Amino acid sequence: MQDIKRVIEENNGKIVVEHDYFLLVEVSREHVRKLARTLFEAGAYYSTGVGSDERPRNGFFAMYHILNHEESKKYIVLKVEAPEHDLRIPSITPEIEGANWAEREAHDVLGIVFEGHPEPERLILPDDWPEGVYPLRKDFKYNEKVKPVRKEEKFIEREDALVLPLGPFHPTLHEPEYFEIYVDGETIAGARYKGFFIHRGLEKLAEGRLTIHQIPFVAERICGICGYTHMICYCQAVENAIELEVPERAEYIRTLLLEIERIHSHILWFGVVYHLLGFDTGFMHAWRIREKVMDIAEMLTGNRKTYGMSLVGGVRRDIDEDKKEKTLKALREVSQEMKKLFNDVLAMKEILNRIEDVGILPKDRARSIGVVGPVARGSGINTDVRKDHPYAAYKYLDFKVPVYNGCDVLSRYLVRADEIFESIYLIEQVLDQMPGGDIMVERFEVPEFSVGVGATEAPRGEDVHFVITHRGSKVYRWRPRAPTYNNLPSVPVMLEGEHLADAPAIIGSIDPCFSCTDHVTIVDDSTGKILFRGPLEDAIRRLKR
Amino acid sequence: MSPMGRLRMLIDSLSHPRVTEKYPYEPIPIPEDFRGKPEIDPEKCIGCAACARVCPPNAITFRDDHEQGYRVLQVFLGRCIFCGRCQDSCPVGAIKLTKEFELVSLSKDDLYQVVKLELAKCVRCGKYTVPYRYIKYLMEKGPKILKYELLLCPECKSEVMTLIKYHYAQEVHE
Repeated sequence: MQDIKRVIEENNGKIVVEHDYFLLVEVSREHVRKLARTLFEAGAYYSTGVGSDERPRNGFFAMYHILNHEESKKYIVLKVEAPEHDLRIPSITPEIEGANWAEREAHDVLGIVFEGHPEPERLILPDDWPEGVYPLRKDFKYNEKVKPVRKEEKFIEREDALVLPLGPFHPTLHEPEYFEIYVDGETIAGARYKGFFIHRGLEKLAEGRLTIHQIPFVAERICGICGYTHMICYCQAVENAIELEVPERAEYIRTLLLEIERIHSHILWFGVVYHLLGFDTGFMHAWRIREKVMDIAEMLTGNRKTYGMSLVGGVRRDIDEDKKEKTLKALREVSQEMKKLFNDVLAMKEILNRIEDVGILPKDRARSIGVVGPVARGSGINTDVRKDHPYAAYKYLDFKVPVYNGCDVLSRYLVRADEIFESIYLIEQVLDQMPGGDIMVERFEVPEFSVGVGATEAPRGEDVHFVITHRGSKVYRWRPRAPTYNNLPSVPVMLEGEHLADAPAIIGSIDPCFSCTDHVTIVDDSTGKILFRGPLEDAIRRLKR
Repeated sequence: MSPMGRLRMLIDSLSHPRVTEKYPYEPIPIPEDFRGKPEIDPEKCIGCAACARVCPPNAITFRDDHEQGYRVLQVFLGRCIFCGRCQDSCPVGAIKLTKEFELVSLSKDDLYQVVKLELAKCVRCGKYTVPYRYIKYLMEKGPKILKYELLLCPECKSEVMTLIKYHYAQEVHE
């Protein structure tokens, strides 16, 4: 702990806020790059970056780089400021690869220029968004409409390979995402990712219209599977910002539901992966077992998807003895059935061959990209927010973090399999130790411009929310960062050198989230024309010749 | 190839009965605390609009008609996310979430619930203020301040309060 503070101070960083959970460090533009590199070398990895328009307050734009330092159990928030007339901040992407997306996003939404960024392309705004309009600036109204500009679609041409677009709508991709895969015969020579087709502008909506108590209900709708973890993450960020203590019983109930969510999300993932491998029997069994977990969630929260359960300050519903017993009974059944399913599946060589030594993500590369959750743990990195930055009731509980060194799809599979049983063990402890008392703190003051960071271990990895509070129970800036944001940039690394037929399983192995309309196009490299059906067949025949 | 895993899988599949439910031909079991369609009781509603203020998706809205003297409170199920914040915030228990979840309709009008409440007039200037029932509720349950000021519109209230303070200050001075 002292070491990291010394490192920060020696590199011209000024610690402004020292919280149990995070350090807020102000650093000038000249020194940010060196400080970021030193922290990365000291073991911190890039978690996320948040741009913020603070002109109404002091005339500056700010960039917050959030680094996760597991050793000292703290998040380190580096704040760099730039005045409006000179909006340049040195990019730290050349030092830490993981900052790439966060800096591009800050440029898109606020117009901050990152000097020395290796890939200064548009990331989250659509192609037809006009230049020079920055939606997250405070002078842009939340319900303002912009006139789209026409732009030609362009594909990157490569002479050595055929371009195979996968997406934006494809059954193996859980959300509208677009992978441009360069294939040489059957082997993947490279891949490029383009996403953010369904950016919903939640941040602007929250800043513009919602109050602190309404945002949890928007936050939980970020994800259709692991929504509860986003809600808790947001609540924790606000609770950290205003230094609010949550009653212990509420912490236990939150933990219980977070673990239930992890179980159903992981079982869902197993179903999806079996389906991607063409093993639909396994898919049906996994989802049949998952239904029991969904019933528990419905019984405990009144909603199949654990929605509407928490608020800043606690949880909204209590749990009685009857519900406890029903939960334990159902989980025992789930545990037995999942064990049986895993044994059956791993006895099938044809499944094992498809996932073993496929989609390799080496440990050092994983670290520099900053992957999180089961993807990181499958590459031999021992990281888990529940252990590194204990929140809710995890500090009172005993559990193991499974880590596998295979760096392949099988390792990620095994990490998730182990986690299901760890979660069941955790729930048994929670129900056994749950103390009595209140479940909600209802009255609290919200100070102005108080910064808070909240983090949870979502089923897909580390989930980080950053909040700056505002007067009148509002937020000045809210930035949720879902785990897939950090995991997706690793997919092109995993795909390189693999067979095209393995692409679905590899993309699926990071567990991105599921919407499915089939849509595959092949682009003829020479003309750049998109071909469908008839022409597609012709093109394939021509290629074969 | 390994036939063992497949064989075990087959046995496992055969040992499970059909899991699909017969719904909608048979009713589906609903848990005790299920959150379904919100229903507003127009007899109980006092028109305080607390529910409209907490509603995250703006499913509950209110509009004051100052010409006719009505407050119209509207619940639109098309926007509802069934969070139950309205139920938590209602001081008289007029809005409650039921277990009803079959909300499909051929007409959008079926998704609206409307409560129309008469507004009271400011006793000083005659402008419409808040619903009668809300004032009645505050008279009975509200804090024991000057009850008279409940009958005033915000502008008159601040004027009257200034006058009272002025007279009070003068009295003290004398």
